Amino acid sequence: MKTLLEFPRTVWTSVFRHPLPGSDLGRSQTSFTNFFLHIHPVKVNKHTLKPWYTMGLGLMSFFLFVILVFTGVLLMFYYVPSTTQAYDRMLDLRGTVAYGTFLRNMHRWSAHGMVALVALHMARVFLTGSYKKPREFNWIVGVVLFLVTMFLSFTGYLLPWDQLAYWAITVGTSIAGYAPVIGKDIKFLLLGDNTVGQEALLRFYVLHVVVLPAVLTLLIAIHFWRIRKDGGLSRPPEADELPVQLAASTGPTMAITVNATPMQLDPAPKREKRQFGLMGIVRGPFTKTGNIPDNSVYSWPNLLTAELFVFVLTVAIILVLALLFNAPLEEPVNIAHPPNPAKAPWYFLGLQELVSYSAFWGGVGIPGIEVAILFLVPFLERKPGGVGRWFAKERMLPNTLFMTFAILNVIFIIVGTVFRGPNWELVSPW
Amino acid sequence: MTAIHPKKDSPSATDPSRRSLITWISSFALAASGLIAAAANFIFIKPRVTYGAPARFAIGKPDDFPPGTRISLDTHRICVVRDGNKLAAISTTCTHLGCIVGVADTGFACPCHGSRYDQDGNVTGGPAPKALAWYQLTLAPNGELEVDKNVEVKAGTYYTV
Repeated sequence: MKTLLEFPRTVWTSVFRHPLPGSDLGRSQTSFTNFFLHIHPVKVNKHTLKPWYTMGLGLMSFFLFVILVFTGVLLMFYYVPSTTQAYDRMLDLRGTVAYGTFLRNMHRWSAHGMVALVALHMARVFLTGSYKKPREFNWIVGVVLFLVTMFLSFTGYLLPWDQLAYWAITVGTSIAGYAPVIGKDIKFLLLGDNTVGQEALLRFYVLHVVVLPAVLTLLIAIHFWRIRKDGGLSRPPEADELPVQLAASTGPTMAITVNATPMQLDPAPKREKRQFGLMGIVRGPFTKTGNIPDNSVYSWPNLLTAELFVFVLTVAIILVLALLFNAPLEEPVNIAHPPNPAKAPWYFLGLQELVSYSAFWGGVGIPGIEVAILFLVPFLERKPGGVGRWFAKERMLPNTLFMTFAILNVIFIIVGTVFRGPNWELVSPW
Repeated sequence: MTAIHPKKDSPSATDPSRRSLITWISSFALAASGLIAAAANFIFIKPRVTYGAPARFAIGKPDDFPPGTRISLDTHRICVVRDGNKLAAISTTCTHLGCIVGVADTGFACPCHGSRYDQDGNVTGGPAPKALAWYQLTLAPNGELEVDKNVEVKAGTYYTV
């Protein structure tokens, strides 16, 4: 009988090994032993939690990805990647499927939002100089994530099989065809045919629902892992300065962090023996033993509340957008009559604008150089300093160059989106 | 002492040149297998059959195209041109970004990015990088005209009926 009464409690404690934390020890253990929380450090630097430093952009991108996976899987229950059925399924989503329109709206606006936020996150990382040593590799992972995000969005664009989808992909894959030597092969591999058709729809579907999300998930895992291993989020050196100088700061930059279990603030009864456990080798200027005062706070609840706030904000914005605006759906595909003008997805319209001047340079040359620079930039800008601050004076030149490129891209996107009418002639939107 | 743990004094286990040779050969074999696997995947996803519109198709009898006509067959993305007894098939896929060009008085005009071509498909304006392709046009034994989009011919090559 006693066993029966204690059954719920025994099950609960077998899953959650620690009660809700009430002490620093508890806060450490909760972060440390929970699968979903152990990705967080036990403590984070106070600077990391400043809302206006990161603006939560990376986290928002991640949460949008979570929303996209969730709504995407639901949409898969009703979608058929067939040229004869796909469009009808879109109409069904709109007409008969419960919450169909709403889910599609959420998926569409999250996708647009993710492309935009990943780009903004990249801008944040650049403008705060965060890719400098030792975070060069994580920047590169980030650039790949940016490209995969664009490709994910691009492959999803074809699936409704409406006029917008068909011609945007026709134009987009033709741009790929301009790549030297391998361009035509890439286009053929991507489409599985010479024109956009059933093969292309199936290929884009497989890429969109399996291949690219899997790649993205793996890369996100590496991206998050490297944040921890590279010493947490970037921050200015003064964020690590201690009120009391405790250890030789001229020492090695690697140190062994030892977690001393009994902490002074722990109200639990004192134990006979001190137990020390080797928690790992991390980057840091000094050896921490026990509860040495520093500029960090416990992740539970400080970091987790901040993350929860960003999550709720992201979901709320997407819900409101999905309620207010419907995802566009145009006429079904008519391969004989392109809409005039035929436009690629908005984030490629900057490219399409450039392409209208020169197909090779606009579609392949300039973007190729831009991506190459993005990959190389942490190795080109080797001067230390200016890390962890927005628009640091020491980094005036790189920041100015980056802003110039960014603003030019935005201008081209705006021109391509708003100021181009039939036959790609300049029109006034008013 | 098992075979996995050879005696320490065995010359085969301690000979460094033999060790490094084995290391090199196995690394090479591993890398080669990886490359072959990647190549096999690449070959696999490159389609050998396409299910879309066939590249070779019949378009009708020569009489369907009276002299002087320029008829655009949008589903095949070609324009059939007849000049007297001479017939030709010109691509209507814009060389810029793959839109379908319309037949205009002056030649061809693309609705997407404003590329313009003359009657023979040469670029006269807009961002198009090259002229429209001309495809091989022949008369099949059953008396129908046949276009093969896999075979591009020089501009100005006509089939005479």
